[in-house]
Amino acid sequence: MIRRILLMVPTFIGITFVTFLILQFVPGGQIDQLRMQLAGAGGGGEVGGGGGARVQLEIPEAQLEQLNAYYGFDKPVHVAYGSWLWNTLQLDLGDSFRYNEPVLRVIADRLPVSIFYGLLTAFFTYTICIPLGILKAIQHRALVDNVTSVLIFLGYAIPGFALGAVLSNLLAVRWEIFPLGGFTSVGFAELSLGEKAKDLIWHSVLPLVAYLVGSFAVTTMLMKNSLIENMSADYVRTALAKGLSWRRAVFVHALRNSLIPMATSIGGLLGIFLTGSFLIERVFNIPGVGLLAFEAIQARDFPVVMGFLVISSIVLMVGNLVSDLAVAFVDPRVRFE
Amino acid sequence: MAWIKLDPITRRRLERFRRIKRGWYSLVILLAAMGLSVFASFLAESRALIVHYEGRLYFPTFTYYDMDTFGQEPPPAWGMGDLETEYLRLQREWRLERELYQREAAELAGDETAFAALADKYPNRNNRVIMPPIPWDPYQSDFWYNEILNEIQAELDEGDAARAERLARHDGLEELGDAIASGAINGMLTDPEQSLTGDLIGLARSGAMPSLAGLPALPPTGPDLRRRHYLGTDSQARDVASRLLYGFRISVFFALFLVLASQVIGTAIGSLQGYLGGRFDLISQRVIEVLVSIPFLYVVIIMGVLFAPSFWLLLAIMALFQWTAITFYMRTEMYREKTREYCLAARSYGASHARIVFRHLLPNALTPLVTFTPFAVVAAIFALTALDYLGYGLPAPTPSWGEMIDQALQLENREKLWLTLAPFGALTFTLVLVVFIGESVREAFDPKQYARYE
Repeated sequence: MIRRILLMVPTFIGITFVTFLILQFVPGGQIDQLRMQLAGAGGGGEVGGGGGARVQLEIPEAQLEQLNAYYGFDKPVHVAYGSWLWNTLQLDLGDSFRYNEPVLRVIADRLPVSIFYGLLTAFFTYTICIPLGILKAIQHRALVDNVTSVLIFLGYAIPGFALGAVLSNLLAVRWEIFPLGGFTSVGFAELSLGEKAKDLIWHSVLPLVAYLVGSFAVTTMLMKNSLIENMSADYVRTALAKGLSWRRAVFVHALRNSLIPMATSIGGLLGIFLTGSFLIERVFNIPGVGLLAFEAIQARDFPVVMGFLVISSIVLMVGNLVSDLAVAFVDPRVRFE
Repeated sequence: MAWIKLDPITRRRLERFRRIKRGWYSLVILLAAMGLSVFASFLAESRALIVHYEGRLYFPTFTYYDMDTFGQEPPPAWGMGDLETEYLRLQREWRLERELYQREAAELAGDETAFAALADKYPNRNNRVIMPPIPWDPYQSDFWYNEILNEIQAELDEGDAARAERLARHDGLEELGDAIASGAINGMLTDPEQSLTGDLIGLARSGAMPSLAGLPALPPTGPDLRRRHYLGTDSQARDVASRLLYGFRISVFFALFLVLASQVIGTAIGSLQGYLGGRFDLISQRVIEVLVSIPFLYVVIIMGVLFAPSFWLLLAIMALFQWTAITFYMRTEMYREKTREYCLAARSYGASHARIVFRHLLPNALTPLVTFTPFAVVAAIFALTALDYLGYGLPAPTPSWGEMIDQALQLENREKLWLTLAPFGALTFTLVLVVFIGESVREAFDPKQYARYE
């Protein structure tokens, strides 16, 4: 357990160092770009590097100095990285250029929105996939199994954000059934509690469908395959031979064992809170962490970019750890080392 | 020939795959679509397939012919020399000549000298242009309404009212044709109330002639069979169907290259890890862990900002993060297989490491890789489309489904449903085929045949 956590440290350092390097040393990297922007502020100037064609924002001298001081671009890399890491360990991720607030607070402000969708997605995934997987395992190769297989894989093949685009253009723009996007309506604060809930649900239907469409296949098939494997295992045959009812053999003996692999996917769900969601958040203009991170890249808000990477890599690693713990918890045979 | 060398197990698996209808037909359709897309230049291209001009045949698909070659004049609006032939306009002009010739010839009925004069008047009546099914290339903007009105305007300015009328009717503008025939057009054009600029475009803009009013509409324009925009145009007046087709080609081949590259790298490194073990395994496993934990799409976007990547550069960047997936499988497989008896036997009679890896271990470990491939392709197409949607994929004019979805989500285009549905349909169609193939391959290659109790 302790060894496992200790191994996360070099991984964390590796991730942040790689991204730190990318941001700093790639031709046209941030400091070069900042310099060029300042130099070429008059007549556009000649913009070298590859990124010249993209939209660039002017960054005032004061911020540049702040950036220099914070990231230490004037020092050698390992020193710069060391001081940055030291700051990060003290939970100081710097200030966002765009919001003039500490990065941590900017991200924390957006977190509830992402967690809201993350939890709902997780909830619906499990409450639908586990029963469906059981049904499919019992009805293996029967009509129900085949039909739901086709449906599930159709869903798996459709990218959530593309479906989101269709849904919002059809249901929100053309037929005006659902709101166009956003997390809540404009006058949300003045609504009563009941109206608030209604407003929230109203806004979350389309994004949730987009989030969920692709998430059924993997979990359902995992459930199905795991149950079906256990159903044909020797111990179930033994149980049946002893005279146990089929119902009891499957639902008590096989089902309990087949739930073990489901535990491995719990940690992965943490990732939904953060990464990969910026596609759907952008389609529906939901002010979550993903959208913040994407806009930070567009606006060259590097402290936020770096902060997002730090937080999401921690979340991913913790997610893996949680998965391992969950498996060890439900399956006493697995020893955690 | 390779078929014969396949071992019986693999052959049985392929047989089983063929019997799963859903996957087999998906494979056939996908291969057919890929085959067609290779010949996209003959399916969707602004250059003609064949031009039959004064007894000679031309095949312009891959050749540049300027307007002089076919005696075409530059469009009235600009009038510069040395332009590439506009085949679609050429086709329309020649068709018009043919129609006029036939109409007037029918009226003459047997007058030889008049026939000769008529033949001189319409020299292009026997020339033909054969266009591809979609006569648009994916980069070309089509502001055709302005073009047509300009053409009719040019005839009016030359005083050839009959030809102008014929042109108008040919393009389905009956109301304008009537107005020209009755001479009412002159009054309309000189009235500033009806045409501010004194020409046909002004007339169309003012709305005084209702059937013209929609013509100078800004792109995107909806599906239009007459103009052969089967799926409409996008916000830069480029043909959607053509861009879908080329977008399919780019997405699918990009995905295939990406999967191939990452599988080769992943297999090599994963095998080495498993076979060598020890320190190499430990260190490379840490590196892989770092790569896996980086939010992939996000870092590709960051690199996209810095590099503005081309096709191959983007491929390389994405391969940098994608190869890790395979290594986990290859590593454990190698660890397991190298302790098997057949491997020990090979080593005991003195086989080299290379021989053991390539002759004995890899053939055993590689087959299951096939089952990963379709899903890797799905992920690659998804990633490319997502990047294009975010604006950090392939550089701007490249035909791309993701870019079209981005257009469809712009506020001004949200009512233009063809822009949403076309890329969504294409994306879903392609991915569903690949997923069905993948699911069937997995089922066919699954060694477990489950017992069932009723």
